[in-house]
Amino acid sequence: MTDLIPSLALGGDAPRAFDAGAIHLAENPGFGIASVALRRNCPPPTPFGVPLPGTAEFTEAEHGLALWTAQNQWMLLAPGRAEEDFAGAVKVEAPGTSVTEQTDAWAVIEIRSSDGEGPITALLEKLVDLDPATLGPGRVVRTGLAHQSVYVLRRNAAELTVLGMRSAGASLWNALETAAAQLAAVRYS
Amino acid sequence: MSRLDGGLIDRSRTLSFTFDGRRYVGHPGDTLASALLANGVRLMGRSFKYHRPRGVLTAGSEEPSALVELRSGARREPNTKATVTELYDGLDAMSQNRWPSLKFDALGVNDFVSPLFAAGFYYKTFMWPKAFWEKLYEPAIRRAAGLGRLSMEPDPDSYDKGFLHCDLLVIGAGAAGLVAALTAARTGKRVILADEDFRLGGRLLSESHTLGDAPATDWLAGREAELSSLPNLRIMRRTTVFGAYDHGIYGAVERVGDHAPDASNGVRQTLWRITARRTIMATGATERHIPFANNDRPGIMLAGALRAYANRWAACPAGRVAIFTNNDDGHRTASDLAAKGVEIAGVIDTRADAQPLGDYPVFPGAVVTGSKGRLGLNSVEITQEGRTQTLTCGALGVSGGWNPNLQLASHHRGRPVWSEEKLAFLPGEGGPRGLVPAGAANGEGSTGGALSSGARAAQAVLADLGVDAAMPELPEAEDTPIKQSAFWYVPGTARAWVDFQNDVTVKDIALAHQENMRPVEHLKRWTTLGMATDQGKTSNVTALAIMAELTGRSIPETGTTIFRPPYTPVSLGVLGGGDTGAEFRPLRLTPTHEWAKARGAPFTEVGPWMRAQYFPRPGETHWRDSVDREVLATRAGVGICDVTTLGKVDVQGADALEFVNRLYCNGFKTLKVGMVRYGLMLREDGIAMDDGTCARLAEDHLVVTTTTSQAGPVYRHMEFARQCLWPDLDVQLISTTDAWAQLSVAGPHARRLLERVVDGVDISNDACPFMSCRELTVCGGLRARLFRISFSGELAYELAVPARYGGALMDRLVTLGEDLGATPYGTEALSVLRIEKGHAAGNELNGQTTAQMLGMGRMVSNKKDSIGAVLSRREGLCADRRTLVGLQAMDAGAKVTAGAHLLSDGAEERTEMDEGWISSACHSPHLGVGIGLGFLEDGARRMGEVITAANPLEGQSTRLRVVSPHFIDPDGGRVRD
Repeated sequence: MTDLIPSLALGGDAPRAFDAGAIHLAENPGFGIASVALRRNCPPPTPFGVPLPGTAEFTEAEHGLALWTAQNQWMLLAPGRAEEDFAGAVKVEAPGTSVTEQTDAWAVIEIRSSDGEGPITALLEKLVDLDPATLGPGRVVRTGLAHQSVYVLRRNAAELTVLGMRSAGASLWNALETAAAQLAAVRYS
Repeated sequence: MSRLDGGLIDRSRTLSFTFDGRRYVGHPGDTLASALLANGVRLMGRSFKYHRPRGVLTAGSEEPSALVELRSGARREPNTKATVTELYDGLDAMSQNRWPSLKFDALGVNDFVSPLFAAGFYYKTFMWPKAFWEKLYEPAIRRAAGLGRLSMEPDPDSYDKGFLHCDLLVIGAGAAGLVAALTAARTGKRVILADEDFRLGGRLLSESHTLGDAPATDWLAGREAELSSLPNLRIMRRTTVFGAYDHGIYGAVERVGDHAPDASNGVRQTLWRITARRTIMATGATERHIPFANNDRPGIMLAGALRAYANRWAACPAGRVAIFTNNDDGHRTASDLAAKGVEIAGVIDTRADAQPLGDYPVFPGAVVTGSKGRLGLNSVEITQEGRTQTLTCGALGVSGGWNPNLQLASHHRGRPVWSEEKLAFLPGEGGPRGLVPAGAANGEGSTGGALSSGARAAQAVLADLGVDAAMPELPEAEDTPIKQSAFWYVPGTARAWVDFQNDVTVKDIALAHQENMRPVEHLKRWTTLGMATDQGKTSNVTALAIMAELTGRSIPETGTTIFRPPYTPVSLGVLGGGDTGAEFRPLRLTPTHEWAKARGAPFTEVGPWMRAQYFPRPGETHWRDSVDREVLATRAGVGICDVTTLGKVDVQGADALEFVNRLYCNGFKTLKVGMVRYGLMLREDGIAMDDGTCARLAEDHLVVTTTTSQAGPVYRHMEFARQCLWPDLDVQLISTTDAWAQLSVAGPHARRLLERVVDGVDISNDACPFMSCRELTVCGGLRARLFRISFSGELAYELAVPARYGGALMDRLVTLGEDLGATPYGTEALSVLRIEKGHAAGNELNGQTTAQMLGMGRMVSNKKDSIGAVLSRREGLCADRRTLVGLQAMDAGAKVTAGAHLLSDGAEERTEMDEGWISSACHSPHLGVGIGLGFLEDGARRMGEVITAANPLEGQSTRLRVVSPHFIDPDGGRVRD
């Protein structure tokens, strides 16, 4: 076990969190992340028992979730495994595929509403140019957000997960925090 | 005159506001204009050119005259229409474009020298003496131009943006829009109803009609209640849809906080991008005036506006009012005002058969031929059957017919079509796909017509979407056909204003005609008609009709103008959507960013990346002190630099090696596992695209690195090659730039330092030779990748670890290497090191250079095909004789400047003598002089020659010696040690 102390994607001493009105934002540094791409004539695996989902979908199981990223490509996210060689573990689970370590490629931000779907829809309207009606629970989309490319996962009606480039994580957080704060200011002023 | 009875204002509350420092009161529901009128204020501004006293002309966003400055300090906003400024407590408004006061404006002298400012004056006057134009006339005219003043301070307000999607966007919440929205929303389709007003109802709010057997406001309240109860309908008040764009996208601005007493509380305005499958344009119509002599005095207004102020805002600018009209609608104003207790001095109707609607005097077959009143209307002169008489009145309502607000339908170059029956332009073909006009915007002049038009439009667009919408039950409403005559202006010798905002008169149009500026486009530019912030909403059609009359042609023959976004002015702040200052764009931070920040490093932008430039130490007073120290420390001991920003692309698959072999122009087939090779990528056209390294970690696993700036383009290029050029290859790509922190460890002590962190791995020269790579662990088990590559020309490695450990690893290396002179270095030293070594970088790979120019012509393999190889051999490229050379200043203190042109020594500094340019330059602490890299004609054959670098922009001329680009260790012994 290394004695080096890791830093967080958003640069703080502790994972960032922010509350504005009904919206709660939280940095989640715990996911072990790896990409899986099928090679020629390779059948889709079921790593850790997580079935690989279809286009623009993600599946969630006990050991994590898998999200579709492109044709024959997925990203696996396993909570609490950021400090492991998660890609190495995936290689074992998905033999014959191309696996690439992605744990530190992403800043992961969880967004939760304490007031149901409405605040999430309002926030989505401020952030991404996509129809919230097409981003139902179980859907994932790669889209532009505040001039950067992100994945947006609709975990359920009142929860989103956003994956943005780790290096631009602080800018992503700022965009989310600003949007949430402005929404709250307008709604509750 | 004080307030009238009735109106849609909340008299239970009083709002206090100021205009030009004087305090007034109004009520919720008022606009600034209505409140000022209710307080007896008619004079609200000065005109653009002639500084003529001006009042309010309209009651909407088409207002050309009543422009004011709102708020103060950094929040001051010029040219704001008083007619759409919602009153709030504490509103602070100032008149503009006057000095020293609104009532006495010294620049009013312009009015007396008006012949100097006739149409096209700036092409004709102020021409002599010639030298005066640039130094005196133009600066003076520019200073005098414009209306309001900018604060010249950063805008302190917050703005944001958002994205909405709907099946149907209804623009305008008047009679047609409301019914359309209701018809569609009842089917369950997602509908957005947007209106620029703060209250739904449009023109219904300004009329005295009943709908069914109840006042229009009762009907509106019922519809509003139903609309609010529908979850699939979104009502957007205070929202101006300002532009129609491609693919059913509309731009809209919602004024979120403008009406709030404290504009800093939250967002001021939101920029919405609305994607609509279909759109109904129910934007209403704008009344036009009839130009007559001196028709611009405060108190002279559009008749419909006069009616709106009376009915909706219970305000009237005077107790005695006259109406000048060519149609029945003018009589409605007289009738409504009379019902409110306003004395009607008379209705001057151009039609000989005019009939009154009530008990008031009518002057049939008459026109207004003049007006009096210095700061406000006192009387009008009317002419009837050749006889003139004076009519005392404090206000005159003018009605010349109505123009449909068809601007949005014209944003895709849809040309309006003239209707002789309605005497108006109607929306024509070629507008935005999916946009359907309805109501007054489509020429429906009656309330009944607008209601049924809205319903029919909704049914039509829904049918287009495959939905059968039921016709709603419509109330019985006013449906009287409006009778009007084609009367466009009152001829005369005095000035009669057509475009109030740009001070364009009938005379100006006549002058344009006389000077052959007759096409509409020429007329517009010669006179500036319609080119102000109101885009000629109250003037364009009238001007066209006047020009038509002057040319003896019909209006459609004369033409029309089309419109561009925005429909009404949009602030630049909201167009930015809140992306200003530090948040203007995303910034990418390196894994060692916080570490570098703690050490006082200044940062430089490299694309979106922020990179440490250098690490100053106490006593260093100039950046060169720090950079020279870092360079020398690296060459003497060991330097450490964060190079995470270089692009990293993971390439896997059975055909991974074949893939990169086709991608790079040099051969990769022989690259062994555990080895790295330098590679040069060409574009399809044979120009050098990017360089970097490719490491083979396993038989089927490679890592390609790119330059920082080309990381994105190269990855896209690779994906294009994978998906489109060679889909048969078994290759998978993914970027890992962010996943790994990568540190360059360079210098003669680099290996000794790394031996202190690697976990029991032999990294000796034999075990880990130059251009090798391996996966290992460091610092007690942290997975890492080690690449023995050098950008500095020294013994060097690049060590990659998961990004979260980048900062800690940097700190560890600097600490462990203290006795070895371990020195962190930034981008400046990185650049000096690579220039000294003669490595090409972004300055050399600038999209205009070839492998041959870079001295790598022989790298383009003839034994295989690769992207760009064939075109790199074309004659045009091969003939370029400029090659990369080193350049060394002859004098120690001489400055070498990147971008300078290279000339033979003693040659005249002319373009024809140009022999190349300097691409990169620095001071070399190693050599103690300025050096550079550059591209020089026949460079390889001119070693030792003295040439001149000319920098005419700064008057510099420097003598340089042509040398090898490898200023240090030309044999490469150090990198192999």
